[in-house]
Amino acid sequence: MSEQSSVKLNPLNQLVIKIAESQDRVAFKELFESVSPKLKSYAMQCGSSAHEAEELIQECFITVWRKAHTFNPNAASAITWLYTIVRNKRIDLLRKTKNKEFVISDDLWPEPETGCLENDVESDLNQNIARTLLHGLSQEQRQIVYKVYFEGKSHSEIASDLGEPLGTIKSRLRLAMKKLDSLAKENITWLIIILVTTY
Amino acid sequence: MANYHPSNDLLIEFSAGKLPNALGIMVASHIENCAECQKKTNIFASIGGELINDIHQTDVNEALFGNILSQLDKDPEIIIPRPSYKGIPRPLSRFMSGPLENIKWRGYARSLKEYNLPISDNQYNAKLYKISAGKKLPEHTHKGNEYTLVLSGKFSDNAGCYDIGDFIATDNAITHQPKAWTNSDCICFAIVDAPLTMTGTFGKLLNPFIR
Repeated sequence: MSEQSSVKLNPLNQLVIKIAESQDRVAFKELFESVSPKLKSYAMQCGSSAHEAEELIQECFITVWRKAHTFNPNAASAITWLYTIVRNKRIDLLRKTKNKEFVISDDLWPEPETGCLENDVESDLNQNIARTLLHGLSQEQRQIVYKVYFEGKSHSEIASDLGEPLGTIKSRLRLAMKKLDSLAKENITWLIIILVTTY
Repeated sequence: MANYHPSNDLLIEFSAGKLPNALGIMVASHIENCAECQKKTNIFASIGGELINDIHQTDVNEALFGNILSQLDKDPEIIIPRPSYKGIPRPLSRFMSGPLENIKWRGYARSLKEYNLPISDNQYNAKLYKISAGKKLPEHTHKGNEYTLVLSGKFSDNAGCYDIGDFIATDNAITHQPKAWTNSDCICFAIVDAPLTMTGTFGKLLNPFIR
């Protein structure tokens, strides 16, 4: 299977492409049904109430509808694209409610002035690398990475959550990072391995 | 191309959306011109996607999809275009009133001028610093962390030489004495999370005045 066809065959990618190409409301509903329960869990893990989580989902899907044409399946898979939308909207909603933060998500991830140049054909590979990286971590390391992404906890909060000494958490995180780092650095090697084994 | 980069911890926290503050602006400003860190944050964003893929599902209110449909045809919010100033990374541009050469620097010392950025909060204090060409700052250490991004010129200390785009993290274990290169002023974007502590003879006299 070629990289290109695999990118297109990804079912979530296909739904976003349909929304972009023909404002397809059936595809929009299907995407909503398959992803919104996960986005709700994400928002609640990050500390939102059920009501705030649904407000966040609403904002996200309005953005999905309006920005579907900017989705480039070769630069990021649909699930990563959706993840970045929900991550950014969460920052912007928090800012509105707290009303004292200065930074908006567009400061952190400004819309590219010109299209993505370098990232073409990386999406599937990045997703494969991400999956391989996560699966390469021990259960404990994975738990910490999960807490960093979804709960935004400090190391000492993670330590008290897990009932472990702070030193243990720090060294686990360091080992997880070391593993991620060496894998990310070697990602050219990984791309080749993944290419060889997947296609 | 930058030789000094944010740590993976920082890049992951950034990709996880946990740095919506001055430090996030600095990491974003480095990434804008660093292909290596762009590549890493793309992978770290994919990890976010992968974690979402694996997360459990929570039931969503049945009326929600209808609410979304009813809002699709509303006019989107008008976005004010981001200013673009030569020499200033785009993530920082919204907090500047003009290009680097128009900054109204403050400070009495000839070797060091500063400009307060409007992105300080109760965690981080954010400034631009200008070290005059060939000048040395007093030797100092930090009570907490200091992050520096070189915006123009070059500077060096006992640990290395830093060029445009380099991201340098220091903490209280490090005592250093930055020196700008001789042929041009060096402008840095700097964030501290605690007051500086001067350690040299002259510097010690300044300690009560520094926050």
